[in-house]
Amino acid sequence: MSPPVYDWDADEYLTSEEERMIDELEAMLRPPALPMAPYPPKSVLLASGETMVVRQALVEEVDLMLKVIQPLSWVTRDFYDIVSARLFAELLGWKTHRVRDEYCLVGVIDGVLAGIVNGRLFDEKHGVSFHTLTLKRGLRVGSHLFASKMEHHIEYLGQDEVWIVAESPIGHRRWMIEYPLEKKFEVQHELGGAPAWVLTRDTYFKAKSRLVTGTRPVSDELLAKSYPLREPDLRVMLTQIEHTLEARV
Amino acid sequence: MAMNVEVAKCTKCGKLSYPTHFYCPSCHGTKFEPVPVGGEGRLLTWTRVYALPLDYAQLYVTLGIVELDMGVRATGRLEIAEPKTGARVRTHIGKVREINGKDITGLVFTAV
Amino acid sequence: MRDVAIVGVGSTQFGRAQWSLLKMMCEASNDAIVDAGIGERKIDAVYVANMGASRNNRMAGLSSGLVDRMNLYPHTVSETIENGPASGASAIKHGVHSVASGYCDLVLVCGGERMQEVNNFEATEFVSYLSHRYAEYPYGVTLPSLAGMFTRLYMERYGVEARHLAMVAIKNHLNGAKNKKAHLRIPITMEGILTGPDALNNNPWIAEPLRFFDCCPVSDGSSAVLLAPAEMVKEFKKTPVLIAGMGQATDSQAVQDRPDPTELTAVRMAAERAFAMAKLTPKDIDVAELHDAFTILEIVESEECGFFKKGEGHKALERGETQIGGKLPINPSGGLKSRGHPVGNTGVSQIVELVLQLRGEAGDYQVPKQPKHGFAVNFGGFGNNVVATVLKRGV
Repeated sequence: MSPPVYDWDADEYLTSEEERMIDELEAMLRPPALPMAPYPPKSVLLASGETMVVRQALVEEVDLMLKVIQPLSWVTRDFYDIVSARLFAELLGWKTHRVRDEYCLVGVIDGVLAGIVNGRLFDEKHGVSFHTLTLKRGLRVGSHLFASKMEHHIEYLGQDEVWIVAESPIGHRRWMIEYPLEKKFEVQHELGGAPAWVLTRDTYFKAKSRLVTGTRPVSDELLAKSYPLREPDLRVMLTQIEHTLEARV
Repeated sequence: MAMNVEVAKCTKCGKLSYPTHFYCPSCHGTKFEPVPVGGEGRLLTWTRVYALPLDYAQLYVTLGIVELDMGVRATGRLEIAEPKTGARVRTHIGKVREINGKDITGLVFTAV
Repeated sequence: MRDVAIVGVGSTQFGRAQWSLLKMMCEASNDAIVDAGIGERKIDAVYVANMGASRNNRMAGLSSGLVDRMNLYPHTVSETIENGPASGASAIKHGVHSVASGYCDLVLVCGGERMQEVNNFEATEFVSYLSHRYAEYPYGVTLPSLAGMFTRLYMERYGVEARHLAMVAIKNHLNGAKNKKAHLRIPITMEGILTGPDALNNNPWIAEPLRFFDCCPVSDGSSAVLLAPAEMVKEFKKTPVLIAGMGQATDSQAVQDRPDPTELTAVRMAAERAFAMAKLTPKDIDVAELHDAFTILEIVESEECGFFKKGEGHKALERGETQIGGKLPINPSGGLKSRGHPVGNTGVSQIVELVLQLRGEAGDYQVPKQPKHGFAVNFGGFGNNVVATVLKRGV
């Protein structure tokens, strides 16, 4: 019997045998996963009087986030370019199962994405902080989200240490000095570059009252408002990122 | 002694001034002799500053204005964990800042 | 001596500059020229106000640069005035002197500052050069630290509380949100910055007892005014505003050196001189732009200028008297707190805002009841060089 004629106009490019082989390859490409405790959502009342819900992002929301992040990779201001380019790759890697044990938290104001943080588990006891991207500036959204990320690693994922590097002077002042973090230069952080710093359980609980905030539980009604995730207005977002400066004379 | 820790004493009328002025604020004299800033005093006001220039690696520094018993006021670094206005403090000379790798000495106040 | 009027005003957006310092200043100057409708008339002199170009933008002799860029050479007289954060009002004062004396007729005063060319820490460092060279600067004294120490003393003596400071910030942010040219157009709430569950985290310490929302931002921006002798105002199209009085005073550079460190003597003296020259009193003023680089300053300046008794400023604020609809609206433009603080330019931008108010052109943040007299305080260093201005609608 001759093989079936391949129909190029149909939407199937692969025979079932080919598909089976691809699945095997895919299984080899996909990393194994550690079990991860969920991050319980919380709400933060911002200076403007708006409420920001901080919750875990869904893999299904990655495409929308990529769409929001992508135009920022041309913004040189405050290193938005490098942070968004790398975050783009990390989230894409998460969606396509190419990064191991990654998680992502989002800050959502009235259903609109206000900021993104992500990281991953190095192993059960050690975490790696990846990036913090603020989309709505001037209200300390980034600071709240970074704190939430640390809270997730230490309190919910039960880790002992989080390894951190900063890619911008703002990050250095915010994380290394404000917490303050300890040097752990013998560790090679996955983002390469500068030597790593570490947040230990001890430093976390010392800084907690000062830097970690938010209210739990979040009412079902409020939480429901954060789904589905909506993208911020591109023009408003770009103007805000270019204009807002958090420094004081 | 570093310039920033000397009080100028007018040789004519004895008035102390800190920081120094070219003319004596009291008699308009122009001759002074240096007197080291020192002794005890009372804390007039203080702050913990978090907005610092780039050369600082600390989270904050504590600064205060002290009314010294010798009769002048001086701004300096406080090495007091929980300062209170009106508290008695003692003057020391110590490193207060590093500018381009060079140590700057100045006034440091501790609790009495 | 001739009376001097403002016949044109212009301003760029505040915040982060879209353009180079000179281009920003050209835009603001051109706005003022178009606003006045000067036609073919030649500008006789250009006074530029700037504090940090030689450090932050690596440019010196800024006025020559502006004259060149605007093709005003070779006939114009020009110079740059650096008087710290009071440079703006100082430059206007120089313009007024040259018109009043008959030396010049049409004078352009342009303030411009581009601080965001350097990073935040360098900007903080650069502004701290205003402190005393050896009695303050070596200790890491920045402007917020002087303001913090001043605020603590003031709060203890006059019963001002953190909520009063927050009220100034909330009022000015609310006003600034209506001003299209303001830097921080974010309305803020008492719950969000002081009383809510996450407030102290939203509003961390900058220099105790001052918090983040008590301090003005680092801004870029340029503003310009055109001055002409009062006898010539009929030749221009807009309602003229008379510079009725100007006063200036200088205090000790180190704050510790003042007999009473809670007194802003230079503010009081500058205001008294401006009122005396204008033959007016604080009661005649309908709208004021005060130098609220820190929230406490708006309260204290409102007292030192004679609008309220010493120690009563915060009570008037609490009663809502300084809101846009109140008895004496203060900082309807958002003030330095929300409109922004391009240091050398601030004095010029205050005058621009007052002119808009007196002409009735302020739009969403217009003070009601057609204000006739306006007042501004431009505050240099920590109160060591202060210029006060009284404006009057019509000539």
